[in-house]
Amino acid sequence: MSIVDLTSMGESQAELREEINDRLSRLQDEVSDYCFQCAKCTSGCEAHKLLELEPHKVVALLKRGLIDELVNSDVIWTCMSCFKCRERCPQKKVAPVDILFALKNMAVASGKQIPGKYTGMLQSILSIGLIQETQSVITRDNKTNKREDLGLPAISKPVDAAKFQMVLSKLAVEKV
Amino acid sequence: MKKYALYPGCVMPTEQYAYELSIRETFPLLDIELVDLEGFSCCGEPMKSVNQLMTLYLSARNLAIGEKQDIDLFVPCPMCHLALSECKHVMENNVEMRDRVNGMLVSEDLQYKGSVDIVNTVDLLHDHIGVDQIEKHVRKPLDGLKIATHYGCHLIRPSEIGRPVDSENPQKMETVLKILGAEPLDYAEKLDCCGAPILANLPESALTKTGQKLQRVQEQGFDVFVDVCPWCHRMFDSKQVKAGETVASKLEVPVVYLTQLLGLAFGVKKEKLGLDLNLSPVDKLKIGD
Ligand code: SF4
Ligand code: SF4
Repeated sequence: MSIVDLTSMGESQAELREEINDRLSRLQDEVSDYCFQCAKCTSGCEAHKLLELEPHKVVALLKRGLIDELVNSDVIWTCMSCFKCRERCPQKKVAPVDILFALKNMAVASGKQIPGKYTGMLQSILSIGLIQETQSVITRDNKTNKREDLGLPAISKPVDAAKFQMVLSKLAVEKV
Repeated sequence: MKKYALYPGCVMPTEQYAYELSIRETFPLLDIELVDLEGFSCCGEPMKSVNQLMTLYLSARNLAIGEKQDIDLFVPCPMCHLALSECKHVMENNVEMRDRVNGMLVSEDLQYKGSVDIVNTVDLLHDHIGVDQIEKHVRKPLDGLKIATHYGCHLIRPSEIGRPVDSENPQKMETVLKILGAEPLDYAEKLDCCGAPILANLPESALTKTGQKLQRVQEQGFDVFVDVCPWCHRMFDSKQVKAGETVASKLEVPVVYLTQLLGLAFGVKKEKLGLDLNLSPVDKLKIGD
């Protein structure tokens, strides 16, 4: 079963959306109580200068309950998960980075297209347990090397692939 | 001799072979025995934007594999180390979630109980082995080598769940490098992100972050840039030429893993440390052999 199949299974995604919604409501309560819009998060944000992410505005929009706007916006996918906003927020209860993770999870659960290479990585985890197969690499003088050429032991991956896949694909469908 | 299972994650064992080679070469010299276990998977952190419960499940699964063999995990990748640390934090503080995840682990005959510890390259060297022990093995000191360190965001933050180094002024790599004879120096961009987390969806911007940081390092005249993260190293070393193009600059910064420098200072041969796999101009360094 491919990820495209998984994410189009509307019924089970409803349960999943409900779960992420609960998470977002909890976050909304927290930011309403604590965030005072000082914008310290934005001042140190790694995605601010380059990609115009303003975490304090994300927090403000969540405070007003504008979740759909946020979920549909591309800007949530510019966060580099550097955790500086969470680390430096003077109100320790507020973590813009965690709000952004929840919003991205919601975008995926709502059947919006998963951007870039995420789908490929997810598919790879489902089939071999890792985000990619072992790669051939080149040396500075252009020789190709595989993992085994370098005397490294066999790679560790799930032993019973069928069992591993069963739990994980259930998770991908029902409770992202 | 202390024993650890080496938890490799995804990026190191599938392409960042220099890190794995230099780890397997150097830690046994420091009386650390590394054991390989079957069955590990991705830690789940790369999937956090897609599905956070999947991240939690995958992390718990890997910790449970270590528990089954009753062995602590050595986790060289900061991203994996963060995922596993956060998983321990959640499982310890949220009984409901712990029961739910354990319910999912049953099918592979696994259980999370919370009995294993995890260590990263930096705290294993600095806190557990210690600089006194490291100093005894130095054969070829890295005299006067001017070093810019890069810890990687996931190793330093968020401190609330417990990270191996200080969140605003990490110095453990510097302490280790000084014992090797080198001269690590702080610089304004030290805590800047490498950009890797958005390589999957915004590759140009990701490389620009890499290029901007390396450009500043180059301008400040450092001899070498040292990292401990396979994701960061892929940006700074493997993709250095492309990163340079994004900032219209010819970058020629030697980038090495901390464990490669450690090996060189211990007198280990370059090939054994995978130094021919670094794509940045490490020949400029004139150290080793
Ligand atoms: S999230 Fe924290 S740092 Fe950001 S504006 Fe609100 S209080 Fe300030
Ligand atoms: S975690 Fe994301 S939102 Fe927070 S400072 Fe870093 S890039 Fe900005």
